[in-house]
Amino acid sequence: MGSIRVLTGNYAAAEAAALCRPDLISAYPITPQSSVVEHLSELVHNGELDAELVQVESEHSAMSVVQGAAAGGARTFTATSAQGLALMYEPYFRMSTLRLPMVMAIATREMTSPETIWSGQQDAISVRDAGWIQMFCDSNQEIVDMIIQGYMLSEHPQVCLPVNICYDGFYSSHLTCGVDMPTQEEVDAFLPPRSANHSALLDPRSPLALDPMTPGELLMNYRRNHLAAMQRALEVIEETDRKFAAAFGRSYGGLIEEYRCDDAELVLITLGGMTGAGKDAVDESRERGIRAGLIKLRFYRPFPAARLASALRGKRAFCVVDRSVCFGWNCGPMYVELRSALENCGSYARFSAIGGLGGADISVADMARVIDRLNDIKDRPGEYGTLWLMKDQEAEV
Amino acid sequence: MYDRHFVTPVGNRGMYVLDTSSWRTHRPVMDKATCVNCGICMGYCPVNSVRWSEGGGYYISYDYCKGCGICAAECPRGAISMEREGGEE
Amino acid sequence: MNYLDILKNSPDMVSPGISACQGCGGELVLRRVLQVAGENTIVAVPPGCMAGSGVVGWSHDSGMKIPVHIPLLDNTASFLSGLSHIYRRSGREDVNIVAIAGDGASADCGFQSLSGAAERGEHMLYVCYDNEGYMNTGYQRSSTTTEGSRTSTTPLGRRFSGKQQPQKYVPLIMSMHGAAYCATATPANMPDLIRKIQKGLAASKTGFAYLHVFSPCPTGWSFAPDRTIEVARRAVKSNMFPLWERDGDGWTLNYVNERPIPVSEFVEGIGKFSKLSERQLASIQRAADERYAAVSALASIQNRA
Repeated sequence: MGSIRVLTGNYAAAEAAALCRPDLISAYPITPQSSVVEHLSELVHNGELDAELVQVESEHSAMSVVQGAAAGGARTFTATSAQGLALMYEPYFRMSTLRLPMVMAIATREMTSPETIWSGQQDAISVRDAGWIQMFCDSNQEIVDMIIQGYMLSEHPQVCLPVNICYDGFYSSHLTCGVDMPTQEEVDAFLPPRSANHSALLDPRSPLALDPMTPGELLMNYRRNHLAAMQRALEVIEETDRKFAAAFGRSYGGLIEEYRCDDAELVLITLGGMTGAGKDAVDESRERGIRAGLIKLRFYRPFPAARLASALRGKRAFCVVDRSVCFGWNCGPMYVELRSALENCGSYARFSAIGGLGGADISVADMARVIDRLNDIKDRPGEYGTLWLMKDQEAEV
Repeated sequence: MYDRHFVTPVGNRGMYVLDTSSWRTHRPVMDKATCVNCGICMGYCPVNSVRWSEGGGYYISYDYCKGCGICAAECPRGAISMEREGGEE
Repeated sequence: MNYLDILKNSPDMVSPGISACQGCGGELVLRRVLQVAGENTIVAVPPGCMAGSGVVGWSHDSGMKIPVHIPLLDNTASFLSGLSHIYRRSGREDVNIVAIAGDGASADCGFQSLSGAAERGEHMLYVCYDNEGYMNTGYQRSSTTTEGSRTSTTPLGRRFSGKQQPQKYVPLIMSMHGAAYCATATPANMPDLIRKIQKGLAASKTGFAYLHVFSPCPTGWSFAPDRTIEVARRAVKSNMFPLWERDGDGWTLNYVNERPIPVSEFVEGIGKFSKLSERQLASIQRAADERYAAVSALASIQNRA
C-alpha cells in the first residue's frame, strides 16, 4: 500500500512520472506546468530519481530531445502548456508519426490572444489530430493513475503511440488534494520495463535509416496503420483500466465514466476538471426530481464513439460542455465530434455549451443552468443554439 | 505477434544508390607515367572515385564518378586530363 | 598517421551514388567526416542538400551504411542531445554522435537548438557545411550568405542588387558557447580538415564539438565544378574564411596569412558576385579584414598567457 499525500496536480504528475522510471526528462518552464519540471529537477538533483535531466532552451527542443532519446530506446517524459505546446507542434506531430512511445503531461491552458495565462483546453484540443492519444483527468489521483497507465498504453505493442495526460491548468495543476500514491514496488510490478517492448531504432549494431524519403503510396500505408493502432487503443485502454483496477483497486471506467446515467433522460457531457461541478449539479437536480446524468469523456483521441453512442441510447437530451471553441462550427469541438459519433443524432434535443475559457470558472450554477435548459427542450428533439456560460448572458433558447 | 511493418518509417532493406556515372560528359584519365602518387586527387574527390591499390597506386574508378574535374584541376603534376565521353572532343 | 593513410584505411560510409551536384563541397565534407568517424557512428542529416541528395535513403532503403536520421530542419542538435544522453547512460559513450547540417539548419532556424546544445555541453560533433544559402531548394539567401551575393531571394534588381546585409559569422558566435571544441575548416585544406574531424570526435566524448566548414557550391554560386577546391583555397587566402580552432588550451590560428590576397580575387569567377558594386566589395573586404584581425587577436591572447 502506498501513502496518502497532499499534492498539487503538478507535483502528483511529477511524482507519478518518477515512479515510472523514465530514462530521460526534458522540459522547459511554462505557466501553469512549471512546477512539474521543477519538482522532477528537485528529485534528480537530490539523487532520488536516476534519470537524465536535459534543461532545454524551448519546448521545441524539449520534444526534440525526448524524440532523440526515444529513438535510442529510452522511456521519456515531458510536460507543457498552451504556447509551449504550440511551439513544439513540429516535433510533436513527428513523435506520433515516428510511432515513438512516451508520456507528456499537459496542464491545459487557454491560447493567446487575447493575452492570458489561465486555464482552458484550447491548447490540447487544437492538436487533437497530431496522432497522439489524448486523455483528460479531473482529479489529482487520476493524474497519478493515468500517467502510470499512460506508459503501459503507450508502449503496448499493439499501440506504440505517444500519450498526453491532460489536466486543467491551475484548477488541477495548482490545487492540492489527497492522493493515494503507489509505492515504487507496486508500480514496478505493474509496468513492464521499457526494454520489454521497445529497443533502440538508431544503433550502430543494427544500422538503418530512420525516416527515409517516402513516396505517397507508401506513406499511406504508414497512415493507415497509425489509424488502425488508434482503433486498437480503444480496446487496450479498457484492458489497461481493468488491469490497473486489479492491481490498485481504482477503476475509472476506461474510455468514459458514466455518472447516474442508468435512468437519466438528460445527459451532461464533460471533459476534465469541470466534471466535479457537473456531478454536483446532477445531484442537485435529482433532488428537484430532474432525471439528469453525466458522462465524463476521458479519452479524446482515440474518440470513443461507440461507447458514447451506447451510453446515450434511450436518452432524450444532451449537452456537451466544451472548455474550448471550434472556430468553424460556432460551437465547441467536442460537440462537433459527438454529433458525428451518433447515427441518430436528430432524435435528441441537444446543444453545445462553451465556458471556462481563459480561466473563467464553470460553476455548479452554470451546470444547473445547462440541465434546466435540457429539461425545457427534452420533448422537442433538434439542435438548439450554443450556450455561452457567461455571467452576463442569457441563454438563447 | 504484431507485425511492425509500416509502423515506424525505416530503411533497412538495402542501399539506395544512384547511377551517377551517367552524368559524366567528360571522364578523368590519369597518366600513370606522370603521376607521382601524391594522393591529392583522392583527398579532394567528392565522390570517392579515386582509389588506392597496393602495388598499383592511385587509380580512378568510373562506377560513380560524376566527371566534376576537381582531380584534374588540382593535380599538381597535370597528370589527369578530362576527356570527352563517347568520342573525341 | 598521414591524412592520406587515414583516408586509404577508412571505408566510405555513404552510398556511392548520391545526387549531390558535380563538384559539391558538401558531398566532399560529408564523406570525409563519416570516413573518419567510421562504423560506430550515428549521424543526423537535417533537410538540406545532403539529405536531399539521398543519403537518408528512399522508401525502404538507406543511403548510408551507418544509422542515419533526418531530423527536422530546426532540431538537429536537440534530437542528438537526447540520443547522446541515452548512449552515455547505457555506457556506450564510444558511439560517435554526429550531425552534418547545412547553414540553414545551423545558423538560421536551427540556431536556437544548436546554441542550446552547445551551451549545455551535449556530447556530439556538429558539423556545419556552409554553402551560404538554401541551395537544395533553389539558392535562397541565408544569414551566412555573403553580402552582395545573387540568390533567388536576393536577385540582382534595379533597386536592390544582391544580398543587402553582411554575412553572419557563425563560428565565432559558436566559439563563445564554452564548447569543448570549435573550429573552422575548408575542403581545400584537407590535412587540416581531417585533423579537425579527429579532434572534434575526440572532444565530443567530453562535450560539444563544433566544426564550421566552408563548402563552395558550384551550382548555386555559378562557377565551374572543377573550381570548388580553388574557391575554398582563395576564401582562406583572402581572409574571407580564416582557419582557426579553439580547444581547452585556447585559440590557435591555423593559417597565418601574412600577405592576404584581396577579396576581389576571391570573388573573381564566381557568378553570384558578378554584379558586386564597389561599395559591396569594400564592405566584404572590411568584413574579411575584421574577421582575421579578431581571430588573430584571440590567438595572441592565448600566446601571451
